[in-house]
Amino acid sequence: MTSLTRSPSLARRVAGVASPVWRMDGWLLAAVAALTVIGTLLVWSSTRASLAGAPSGLLQRHLLNLCIGLGLGGAIAMVDHRWLRAYAPLLYALAMLGLLLVLTPAGETINGSHSWIVIGGAFQFQPSEFAKPALVLGLALLLAEVREDDVRPRDFDVWLALGIAAIPMGLVMLQPDLGTTLVLVAITAGVLILSGVRMRWIAGLAGVAVVAAVIVWQFQLLEAYQVNRFMAFIDPSLDPRGAGYNSRQALITIGSGEVFGKGLFNGGQTTGKFVPEQHTDFVFTVAGEELGFVGAAAIVGLLGVVLLRGLKIARECEDRFGALVASGIVCWLAFQMFINVGMTIGIMPITGLPLPFVSYGGTATFANFIAIGLLQAIHIRERSYG
Amino acid sequence: MLRLGSSHRRINAGMLAMAFVLSLFAGRLVQLQGLDSKVYADRAERQRNTEAVVPARRGTISDAGGNVLAMTADARTIFVDPTMVSADKRQAVAALLSRALNIPPGPILEKLGRTESQYQVVARNVEPGVASALISRKIRGVGSEPTYRRVYPDGKLAADLIGYVGQDGTGLGGIEAAWNSTLRGQDGRQSVEQGQKGHRIPMTRSSQQAAVPGTEVRLTVDRDIQWEAQRAISEQVAKTQARSGTVIVMDVRTGHVLALANAPGLDLEHWEKAPAESLSNRALAEVFEPGSTNKVITAAAAMETAGVRPETTFVVPDRYKCADRVLRDSHPHPVQHLTFAGVLATSSNVGTLQAAERVGKQGLYDFMRKFGFGRKTGLGFPGEAAGLLPKPETWSGSQVCTVAFGQGVSVTAMQMASVYQTIANRGVRVEPQLVAGTVDGRKRFTPAPAAERHRVISERTAREIARMLEGVTDSSEGTGAAARIPGYRIAGKTGTAQRYDSDRGGYHGYTASFAGFTPADDPRLVTLVVLQDPKKGYYGGDVAAPVFRDVTSFALKTRKIPPTGTAAPPLRIHAAR
Repeated sequence: MTSLTRSPSLARRVAGVASPVWRMDGWLLAAVAALTVIGTLLVWSSTRASLAGAPSGLLQRHLLNLCIGLGLGGAIAMVDHRWLRAYAPLLYALAMLGLLLVLTPAGETINGSHSWIVIGGAFQFQPSEFAKPALVLGLALLLAEVREDDVRPRDFDVWLALGIAAIPMGLVMLQPDLGTTLVLVAITAGVLILSGVRMRWIAGLAGVAVVAAVIVWQFQLLEAYQVNRFMAFIDPSLDPRGAGYNSRQALITIGSGEVFGKGLFNGGQTTGKFVPEQHTDFVFTVAGEELGFVGAAAIVGLLGVVLLRGLKIARECEDRFGALVASGIVCWLAFQMFINVGMTIGIMPITGLPLPFVSYGGTATFANFIAIGLLQAIHIRERSYG
Repeated sequence: MLRLGSSHRRINAGMLAMAFVLSLFAGRLVQLQGLDSKVYADRAERQRNTEAVVPARRGTISDAGGNVLAMTADARTIFVDPTMVSADKRQAVAALLSRALNIPPGPILEKLGRTESQYQVVARNVEPGVASALISRKIRGVGSEPTYRRVYPDGKLAADLIGYVGQDGTGLGGIEAAWNSTLRGQDGRQSVEQGQKGHRIPMTRSSQQAAVPGTEVRLTVDRDIQWEAQRAISEQVAKTQARSGTVIVMDVRTGHVLALANAPGLDLEHWEKAPAESLSNRALAEVFEPGSTNKVITAAAAMETAGVRPETTFVVPDRYKCADRVLRDSHPHPVQHLTFAGVLATSSNVGTLQAAERVGKQGLYDFMRKFGFGRKTGLGFPGEAAGLLPKPETWSGSQVCTVAFGQGVSVTAMQMASVYQTIANRGVRVEPQLVAGTVDGRKRFTPAPAAERHRVISERTAREIARMLEGVTDSSEGTGAAARIPGYRIAGKTGTAQRYDSDRGGYHGYTASFAGFTPADDPRLVTLVVLQDPKKGYYGGDVAAPVFRDVTSFALKTRKIPPTGTAAPPLRIHAAR
C-alpha cells in the first residue's frame, strides 16, 4: 500500500477504506442482487406452506444463508486477490481435507447424497461446494506461471493442473455426486482452454473425455437412477410416473405459466407440489409458472449479465492469475446455470444441480457469493498494478 | 503488460458460446410459454381438477301424524393415512383412537400397518362432536370427513316397514328402497383443485352445484297403533312359541295401512347381522295357505253365482268324500242341519265345500282372482310376493274342495287383509296404501294419488257376509268368541290351516289366523292377525283372536271410533228340520 506521508482526515480514511466499494462492477452486483431477490421470492412461494399447513421455516433459513453468503463474498471482495494467491495452496489443501472427511464416519447422508458434514447437529455443511472455488484458485495458480515472453502454460504445469483437478473429482465421485464432478470437469476444461494451452491439448483431452464417457456407459459405472434419468431425457414417455415424472411436471409447470404468469404465490402447480425439489433444483419452474415468460426470460437475461460481466472481468484483468480465476468461476457458474435451466425446460438430462443465486441452499449459497466476491476483488484491482 | 492474445480470443469465443446457449434457452421458453403454452396449461388444469360428489341429505320417513320414523343426521367418518404415521407411533395412535371412539385398538393397529394405502376408514357414523374433539388434538395422519347416518328415533318401531339403508346411503329394503328416488334427493357436485398428494390447493377456483335434499315420505301408518300391534304380536309369538307373527290394521274406506307389524322384528342399527327372512317384510313377502279365513271368498262366490243365502240349509255330515279324498270337519259330530250362516259361524269344512261344489272350479278361481289373489298389491314394496293361485285346469280332483276352505292356495297376509277390507267396504276393493304422500322442503304436503278402487261383489252380498261373520264372534257356537270387544259389533273369521313347511317339504304345524272388521254394521277398521307354527295352542280362535281384540280395541280408541250402539239382528245357525 502507499505510504501515508500525511495524516489524512477521518473522513478521508473512511472514504479510503470504502473506496473499493465504488470500484466494484455495478452490472454484476445489480444482476446478482436481482437474482437473489427473485430467488428469495420464489423460495418463499414454493415453501410457504407444507402439506400439514405449518410454515416450513425454510425462508428464514434461506435469508440467514444469504446474510452469511453476503458477508463472506463482501469480505473476499475487499481482499487483494494476489494475497489469495499466496494462500491458494492452503485453501486447496483445506478443501481436499473436507472432502476426505466426508468419506470418514463423520460424513452424513442427507436426501440420499452422502456429501454432508453435520456440526453440532444443526449446522450442515457440504465440503464439495468449497472444492469448486478451491480448485479454481489451485488451477489458476499453476497455469498462471508462464515463462518470460511465453503465453502458454508449460506442458508440465498442464500435467500438474490435471493432477490437482483429478483429486477432488475422484473424491466427489466416491460420494458419489455426478453433478458436482461434472462442475469440476467444466472448471478444469474452462481454465485450461482460457489459459491458452495448445489446441492439441484441448483435442487430446476432449478425446479422453469421449473415451471415458464410453467406458462409463459400457461398463455401467453409473447408478441405475442416473441411467434412468438419461433414458427418460431421451424419451420422456418411457416412464411418466418414475424417472420421466420430474421432467414432465417441470414442462407442464413452466408451460402453464404462459406469457405473464399466474402471479407470485398463485401458481396452482407450485402450491399443489407437483414438481419435486421445487425450492432447490427445480426453482426455475416456480418462476416459469408464477412469473411467466417475462419472469423466466428476465432470469435467463440476468444469468447472462452475470456470465458476460464475469468474462469481461477476465478479459480486462491484466494479471494472469486474476484472469484465470475469473475464467474458472464463469465456467463453474455457467455450467451449473446451463445444466439447471436446461433440465427444467427439457433440453438437458436431469442432474441434481441448483441454480446459482436463485435456488435455496446453504453451503452452495456461500460458495456462489464467494465466487462473486472473487470476481469483484479481481475487478477492483485489475488496473491497480501495472 | 502480459500478452494474452490467445486467451483473449478464447474468452471472446466463450462469450459468443454463452450468448448462444442463453438465446437457445430464450427460444425454448418462447416455445413452452408462448407457442405451446395452451397445451401445458390444459394438462396442468386437468391434473389438478377433481370432482367430488356432495351427497344429498336423505329425506325423512314419518308416520301419518308427521312423527319421525327415520331421519338423516350429520355424522363423521374417521380415517387414517398410514403413510403419515411412523411405525413407532402406531401403538400410541391406535390406543388414542380406541379410547376416543370406544372401539378395540387391534383393528386400528392393523389398518395403520397398511402403509401401501393413504386412506383407511377407522370408524363410520361417529357423532360430529366426538369427531371434532378428536380432530382438534391434531394427531398426524388422522382425519375426518362429513357423512350422513340414518337415525331411528323410535328404535325398532316399524323397522321392517321402513327398511334398511346401505353404507352408501341407498335404500335397500322396505319403503327406503321402494321410495328411494324420492328420498334420495339429488347429489351435488364440487370441483376443486387438488395437489399432488390430494390436498386442496388454497386460493384456487372451485365450482359448486349444491345438493338437493331428499323429500320426506309420509306413511299411512299411525305410530301408536303400530306400537301396540308390534307389542301384541311380539308377546303372542313368544307366548305361543310361534315361528313368526303378523298384524295388519287397515282403514276400511281408504285402504290406508294403519299398522303393519311382524315378529320377530328387525333392528335397523344392526341390519347386517339380521337373518335374511327378517330383512324383508313378512306381511308382504311370506306366503302361506290361509285356511278357513278363505271361506268368505267361497261364500261370496256361492251367494253371487249359486243363489245361496245366509238361511239356505245345508245337511252337514262330519266327513265328506271329494274325488279320491275323504275330508273332515275339525271336530267329529253327528249330521247337522245348518244354515249357511251356521256353516260359516262353526267354520264347517264340509258345509263350505258343499257350497263350493255349487260354484264350480272356474267360479272359485274367478272370485279369488277378483279379491286380489295371485298378484302383487299396488304397494310396489320390494320383495313382495304374488302368492300362489294355480289355474283351475291344473287343480286336482280334491283341490276344488280344499281351495274352498283355504288349502292348496297361498297368499300373503296383505292379500288376506285386503279380502276383508273389500267385504267390510260393502264389496268395493281399495288397493292397500302405505304412503300417504310427500312433504317438500317448504313443508308442503302432496298427497299420494288416490288408491284404485273397484267393486268385487254386490253391496247386498257384502252386507250379508258381514252379518254372517258377526255370528262367528257373537253366537255361542262361533269359533271367534275371543275376538269380542265390549260395546262393538265385530265381524270376523278364524283360520286354522295346516302349514306347508318348505324346510321339511311337507305339511307340519299350523297357521293360526283371525281376520275381522268393526263396527260390523258400519265398518271402519279391518284387522288381520296371523301366527305361523304356534306350539302352545294352534286354533286361530284361541291364539290369533285375542291379539285381534287387543290391537283393534286400541286402534278404535286411538282413531276415536265410537260403537254404533245397534244390536245385531238375530242369526239362525241351525235350520229347521
